[in-house]
Amino acid sequence: MERLKYQMKNIRRDKMCILTFLLPIVVGIAIHFLSDLSLQNIGGTSFAGLKGNLSEEIVLWLEQIGTYTEYETLDALEIAINEPSTQMIGVLENGHGLHTLLSGDELEVNKIIGNTLPSLYQNRENITGAKTTLIPLKTDNSGIKSLFIAITLVTAMFMGCTFNAMNMIGEKEDGISFINQILPMSVKTYIIQKTALGFIGGFLSTLITALICIRINPMQIIPFMIIMILSAYIAALIGLYIGRHSEGLMIGLVYIKMIMIVFLAPPILVYITVSPSSPVFYLSYILPSSATFYALMDILSGQSQDLWVAIIILLSHSVLWSIVYLLVERHHRL
Amino acid sequence: MWKGFLYLFRKDFRLMLSSKFFLLALGSLILYSCYINFIYVGLDQHIYPVYLYDPQNKQENRSEYITVTESRETLEKLCSDNYSVGIDLSSDEPEIYMLSTGMATTDHYRKLWAEAVLNSRIDKQSEIIGTNTKEMKNRREITAEFLFFELSAVGFLGLASMLFKEKQMGVIRVHGILPVSKSAFIVSKLTLLFISDMAFTVLMTFINLGFSAGMTILPGVLIQAGILSLIMALVGFLCAVRLPDFKQFSLFYLILAIFITTPVFLAGQTDIQWSWIDYHPMYHLFTAMKSAYFGMPVYQLPYYVICTVVIILLFLLAHKTLSCEMAKEG
Repeated sequence: MERLKYQMKNIRRDKMCILTFLLPIVVGIAIHFLSDLSLQNIGGTSFAGLKGNLSEEIVLWLEQIGTYTEYETLDALEIAINEPSTQMIGVLENGHGLHTLLSGDELEVNKIIGNTLPSLYQNRENITGAKTTLIPLKTDNSGIKSLFIAITLVTAMFMGCTFNAMNMIGEKEDGISFINQILPMSVKTYIIQKTALGFIGGFLSTLITALICIRINPMQIIPFMIIMILSAYIAALIGLYIGRHSEGLMIGLVYIKMIMIVFLAPPILVYITVSPSSPVFYLSYILPSSATFYALMDILSGQSQDLWVAIIILLSHSVLWSIVYLLVERHHRL
Repeated sequence: MWKGFLYLFRKDFRLMLSSKFFLLALGSLILYSCYINFIYVGLDQHIYPVYLYDPQNKQENRSEYITVTESRETLEKLCSDNYSVGIDLSSDEPEIYMLSTGMATTDHYRKLWAEAVLNSRIDKQSEIIGTNTKEMKNRREITAEFLFFELSAVGFLGLASMLFKEKQMGVIRVHGILPVSKSAFIVSKLTLLFISDMAFTVLMTFINLGFSAGMTILPGVLIQAGILSLIMALVGFLCAVRLPDFKQFSLFYLILAIFITTPVFLAGQTDIQWSWIDYHPMYHLFTAMKSAYFGMPVYQLPYYVICTVVIILLFLLAHKTLSCEMAKEG
């Protein structure tokens, strides 16, 4: 315990570690205060029209199904439609109905919406009047917001590796690692201390971020905590690997950058694009961060049936990597 | 001076080779290209699927967008993705069943869509006014983005890692007494990074856009890449000379990466409208790069004048800082 105190003291002077610690928290606060309004537009359909062209009735109808923006001239309208970063659908009124403009590079959903909008509008009155059952969202974390939150939390958990990795590389560069070798400290204690360092950093940072930006129901607190602890532990192990095997800060930084990309991008992509029953989805569990990410998305959407699967996967990852680390370590010493 | 420059240049090249800089760039190139060609190009969002439960076969002519399900349970399960819409015709009154997406407008549209699909009232008509297909747009967009991030990061980090190594070896001190001008010291590093960035740009463009499409936009892209490369390398040089160790430098790099480039990415990539983004210098560099990839010149002469002035100012500043640092080193 006493030694851990020194380790913490050491890290306190390290601006890099403090920054990585604070970063997820800052992002968490930003997400918390990011009004839903500014996120509202993402994911919805957006329409654009020409000033004075559409009747008030059409504009009202469009505003019921998406956002509507008005442009002064036809040129400005066409530029807005062609702008690659938006999915805007141009709507014009001609004598007997609507006429839509597309740039041709839209996602399929918007292409079909644009293509069928005139006939949808034409038939707006002869709606059959079917009874509609709309089940509201289980939580108030709306889709895109919970995606942001999950990304932030996973980043926070796996950022834990920077704490001990940076610390170990720093010690190597300053020559402290040589001093460590003659200190009456066994390799085991060293490993335990450094792992604890990464673990505590990642865990605390995630905990504070989670407290700021999510509200979960009491039933899920225990699985959430277990997932957090396991992920932070795995991150600390990764940090240990990086710290042991990188010679300089530059290389260490590159490793961390690569780990963060490899750990963050595939789960998000797979989650968005692949159905949960496909083999690719199961394959993605090779990365521990996938289990964490899917579990977080489940927690945020109020589901809890698959949480134990994630916990088991994380647990096997932690056991596996601990054993691998110990084996490598033994091999090194021989 | 020219002879000295060549020696410097060769030394810097060897330094870059030994720091595995080129290997790193090549690795990034392969990683990005694989991602673009195998994953990003295929990304799409399909129209809201409509599932129909119709045990009595009330509905005869079914639209291509309808998928029939066997039972009400299957219908509800299929709709649990908060995206699909279910139609239940088993009772007298038809029922539309869906889980909210959290957005009232989208939910309203999904309902209209389901009804239109059910009644097969969908004619397709629209006018295409753009020139890009979705695949080409995706390719241009993501290549511009990756290139922007890579150039802003690599110029910065690459130069800094080189300089810190030299600092450690005491090269700056040695340079103080060598008959080589300080400008040559800066220019040799800039040139090397510039060439490697240009090569990276050319490869990245050809691999991901194809040769013919790449050829038409390459001149514009190279100009933007050159501006970005010079600015970032000079900023990296300044920071590396100024900051005492690599650790502090990487801290600075982290701040740059997260707080400077993320808003740019969000504003350039999504519908988010921020009025303050106009005051963000990197945003304009990003927009220029993206416009170049889409073959539309957005910025006129003043932009290029400002860029040139900034590069000259940064160069002068770097020169001055280097002089100060040499004086400090003795």
